[in-house]
Amino acid sequence: MPGTTERWLKKGLRKFMDKGYKILEHPADVRMRALGETKEKLFINAAKGMMEILQSKIQTPPSKYQRNIRVKSVDLNALLVDFLSEVLYLIQTNKEIYDKIKFEEFTDNELEARLFGNKIESFGEDIKGVTHHDLKIEQKNGLYEATILFDI
Amino acid sequence: MQKDDFKKINDYIWEIRKRGKMNVPARIYVSEKMLNEVLKDRSVEQLINTATLPGIVSYSMAMPDIHEGYGFPIGGVAAMDVEKGIISPGGVGYDINCGMKLLRSELSEKDILPYLEKLATEMQKEVPSGLGRGRQIKLSIDALNEILKGGAEKLVEQGYGEEEDIKNCESNGCIEQADASVVSEHAKNRGRDQAGTLGSGNHFLEIQKVDEIFNENTAQKFGLFKNQVLVMIHTGSRGLGHQIATDYIQLMMRAMSKYNVSLPDRELACVPFKSSEGQRYFKAMSAGANYAWANRQMIAHYIRKAWKEVLGEKIKLSAVYDVAHNIAKIEKYEVNGKEAEVVVHRKGATRAFVGQPVLIPGSMGTASYVLVGTEKGKESWYSTCHGAGRTMSRNAAARSLSGQEIINNLKAKGILVKCYSMRGIAEEAPQAYKNIDEVVDVVHQAGLSQKVARLVPLAVIKGE
Repeated sequence: MPGTTERWLKKGLRKFMDKGYKILEHPADVRMRALGETKEKLFINAAKGMMEILQSKIQTPPSKYQRNIRVKSVDLNALLVDFLSEVLYLIQTNKEIYDKIKFEEFTDNELEARLFGNKIESFGEDIKGVTHHDLKIEQKNGLYEATILFDI
Repeated sequence: MQKDDFKKINDYIWEIRKRGKMNVPARIYVSEKMLNEVLKDRSVEQLINTATLPGIVSYSMAMPDIHEGYGFPIGGVAAMDVEKGIISPGGVGYDINCGMKLLRSELSEKDILPYLEKLATEMQKEVPSGLGRGRQIKLSIDALNEILKGGAEKLVEQGYGEEEDIKNCESNGCIEQADASVVSEHAKNRGRDQAGTLGSGNHFLEIQKVDEIFNENTAQKFGLFKNQVLVMIHTGSRGLGHQIATDYIQLMMRAMSKYNVSLPDRELACVPFKSSEGQRYFKAMSAGANYAWANRQMIAHYIRKAWKEVLGEKIKLSAVYDVAHNIAKIEKYEVNGKEAEVVVHRKGATRAFVGQPVLIPGSMGTASYVLVGTEKGKESWYSTCHGAGRTMSRNAAARSLSGQEIINNLKAKGILVKCYSMRGIAEEAPQAYKNIDEVVDVVHQAGLSQKVARLVPLAVIKGE
């Protein structure tokens, strides 16, 4: 039926835009594409996507926790990997998931952020590491975009 | 990349000649049929990138279970000259000393079948995934430092095993250059509550039986007989090792410009082995490897406990061997007629010294193998394959069959599955992997190691 594929594609794209990330296929690991109108939003969406991969179960009743991080890197691409690695470290050692991230400072090679979240009961998946593989933050049609490979 | 780009050396070796920035040629141990599969992903490109690394000796090599990774391909083997060469965390992988441990009982399949369900349940209870459920032991930093320095031996001293376990373990379960002071607080914090845990993904415990013996003499030497019941453990250094890799990739990325190293892929991040950063990584990686040997040792201890609960105090599980498949080691070889030390990076490749038991796990529900290292293995720095190698993404695998369908299929074959997560099972579907029999046939035919026994699962216990 003409138009169906187009509608389906538009629906998929809308969902991608709404969530800000999409989990992609990879033969051995997990790849994710993240989007954002600003670099900060791209970083936040990438962190949200990473947390979805972990399939965590939030403890009830929820209890709010706050963590602060500071990351310094060689450039913007490395900053994204180092930021996600630091968030992953906090998630795994504190058994928490963060639903709000606020940047206090953000440059192309340094950031400071506050993370707000909840304790979790368990994770359904483990992420071993956030890799630099093929990572290039690019601006396309007014949006920042990056594809990140996680070692699972 | 096409088949025409390769020179066929023999039925099981295919070579890409040195070109561009390659310092050495690249070689893949693979059958012609499997080569067509290999060409479907970017693993060959990654193998060529590995050949450009400074100080690489002879060839950049890949085993038949090669598949696309990041930086080095999975299944990659590369030896670097210790004086002129580099060391790269990307040549080891995030799961430092991911590897296999095999325990043997004196029982046959018929003795164990009435107790199988109970044994699997008890093992699942005793060996948590470490992702939330189960036993929570939090080691003090001092106790953790001792494990990082002393490896599996430290645990045996503390009563978590027997002297025989250490003898039957690569490097006796400890790399002596390990230094806990170059392992970050972050890494230590990730490791404190994960000793004795399995993790997720393709990590597993299996109760297996010896299905076929190919080499009676060697099988006897390894203590193996037909229908014998064994336990196989597949896991690594957990969050501690993952964090060491993350920390040192970050550090090397900053340090590389100092050493004029330019790379086609950032995940190949490396520094000269003899540089201060290179030495620090080697010491930290060795500490991570020691933690992994200790982790598998502690798991073996709790499996023994589970077996005693079910079958009584007299039941004995002896170690056949324990071997890493993600590691960098300093080894001595004859290079250009002279004895030389090289740093052998094995990323998804198993050490196979002459006469050593080599443990190759299959995918969930399929066969695993015990091989033995051979003299001919010298050509691949005494390395062989490490498993089946994935061909399908986790999502594609989960879409193709449900977890329940897989459990039913395995049950029909008489295999019991214990896993908290149905998706975890679906992601590890056997059809998502290469055929293990074909992979092992290549290393056997190429002479890198010889088949000793084929093992099939009776029960599979997975993390998540």
